[in-house]
Amino acid sequence: MKALDQTSSLFWLLVSLSVFVESIRLGVGTPQNPGMGFLTLGASGMLGILSLILFLQASLKKEKLKAEPLFAGKLWRRVLFVLVLLILYSRMMPVLGYLISTFLLMTGLFWILERKRIAWVFVSSIMTTLITYFVFSKWLNCQFPDGLFGL
Amino acid sequence: MGVFDSILYGFQVTFQPTNILFCAIGVLVGTLVGVLPGIGPAGAMALLLPATFRFPATSTLIMLAGIYYGVQYGGSTTSILVNIPGEASSVITCIDGHQMARQGRAGPALGIAAWGSFIAGTIANIGLMFVSVPLAKAALSFGPPEYFALMCTGLIIVTYLAQGSILKAVIMALVGIILGSIGLDVITGLPRFTFGINELTDGVGIIPLVMGLFGISEILVNLEESLKREIFKAHIKNLWPSLKDWAEAKWAIVRGSIIGFLLGILPGGGAVISTFVAYAVEKKVAKEPQRFGKGAIEGVAGPESANNAAAGGSLIPLLSLGIPPNPIMAIFFSALIIHGIQPGPLLIKQNPDLFWGLIASLYLGNALLLILNLPLIGMWVKVLEIPYRILFPLILLFCLIGAYSMNNVIFDLYVMIFFGAAGWIMRKFGYEAAPLILAYVLGPMLEQALRQSLLISQGSFLIFVSRPISGIALGFAFLLLLSNLFPYFKKRRKEYEGFKE
Repeated sequence: MKALDQTSSLFWLLVSLSVFVESIRLGVGTPQNPGMGFLTLGASGMLGILSLILFLQASLKKEKLKAEPLFAGKLWRRVLFVLVLLILYSRMMPVLGYLISTFLLMTGLFWILERKRIAWVFVSSIMTTLITYFVFSKWLNCQFPDGLFGL
Repeated sequence: MGVFDSILYGFQVTFQPTNILFCAIGVLVGTLVGVLPGIGPAGAMALLLPATFRFPATSTLIMLAGIYYGVQYGGSTTSILVNIPGEASSVITCIDGHQMARQGRAGPALGIAAWGSFIAGTIANIGLMFVSVPLAKAALSFGPPEYFALMCTGLIIVTYLAQGSILKAVIMALVGIILGSIGLDVITGLPRFTFGINELTDGVGIIPLVMGLFGISEILVNLEESLKREIFKAHIKNLWPSLKDWAEAKWAIVRGSIIGFLLGILPGGGAVISTFVAYAVEKKVAKEPQRFGKGAIEGVAGPESANNAAAGGSLIPLLSLGIPPNPIMAIFFSALIIHGIQPGPLLIKQNPDLFWGLIASLYLGNALLLILNLPLIGMWVKVLEIPYRILFPLILLFCLIGAYSMNNVIFDLYVMIFFGAAGWIMRKFGYEAAPLILAYVLGPMLEQALRQSLLISQGSFLIFVSRPISGIALGFAFLLLLSNLFPYFKKRRKEYEGFKE
């Protein structure tokens, strides 16, 4: 955990510095008349101090510093694939509309764990897309984008 | 109106057909969410919240309460039968519950979990009824310094009770405060930390934030592993516990109810902590503590009662003070705000239908859950058999629809995906999301209270210690923070003595 704590503490230190600078830019005001950056200045200052403490605490640990692979033995490619699919879906939904983009997304998601049964993947994706469309769009009146094809 | 007249009025509200339906949907969804690993109560509530915009606030709150209760019930089923807790609040039930199932006593384990939850839920409701009203009356005299102190204390307790490192929990709370400050400034109305993105002017939405940190990240964590669940196949019989079971479990239920209720009121306490405390107490008071871990019925009855009582107790600070004590209550808080209702001491006076209707619905929900859980146990076991390869795409799609339909804005999807990935990484680095969510919700209120207090005192911070309630609250919080240093000094002293020798 030593390397992980050191890395994360440095990240939070960076975040705290950015927020600290921005808070000053926004205007801290005075105690009599606190400004927009008053609370965030305090919060980022404390975040910076605690990040430093975490860094020191991790550095002073007696365990040896070693590379700690976060993804060793994990199926991280699946996660990455899902994240990319979700981003693509968010990007494509206004263009392709709910029905087409959701069908493509569900095909991709079902395919990850059920690669051999392509027909099952397609049927499940169509069913899921249509059922959710009718439940959310027609019954609960959610307004999904129509997209280029009006679907 | 006295408490009894008020609760009768509450039942009138609850027994309206729409509200009965919402209560039934809530407890069903809650049990389902509790049974299925992959989406917690916070994620499920956030998911259903946008769909309730067109319905009255009372119905919405009744449904959300049903989900919260249902999750506590449903979580025990997976813990006992599969040895996988559906929810964090059912982790401890795995220890003795699954052992009971292995010994052919799955029925009594499920039965005592359901009955314990029912009894504890009812005790907590009675407590809620009698504590909320006087507390709300007392809170009417609170000013900004008292609210600031109470919120600070709440945040400190949340971080103190965090499961991992306290330092990391405080860091998360500070990040939550910073996230909560994104958007328009509460006093000047000018945008801050928006990076020129128009969609951020209204701040980061709580629904995409919660869904990302609790829903999406949970799915990503599960996806990394090759999940293989072993479902207990034996026929489940004798759901009604025997007299011997009742005799062994009765005091565990009473103790669990009291512990759960009291810890539920405390900020950060909630259902999870109460189960651990209840289990520890049961083990401590047991004549044969060695039975624990080998299928002791008290090890199921105590924690299962505690988590349901905590669910009731945690409504008290929200409804009386307007301060959500945990992330789930933060969603309740958001639901009230979305429906134009300000949580706080005036809620009971201004919205008696909502307050008493909600309390009465808790009795109804409890009864519905008992009816649903015992006879339908076979159905919930079948639900457990749904493979994850089918579940995870559906949960992801529901999260996407839920996040989008809140404002019909694609940007919310990006926010949810971002926090989903962030939550996944945060777990790897040992950071918890709960303090972040709570601080995110409390942040704007905290800032407003701080700035108003300083305006009142003309810049003097002494206002926070010179007023009795805020002084006591902050003193308690300070002592709590200081207590973290005790183990460090103890260790140093030991090292010093060792060195001297």
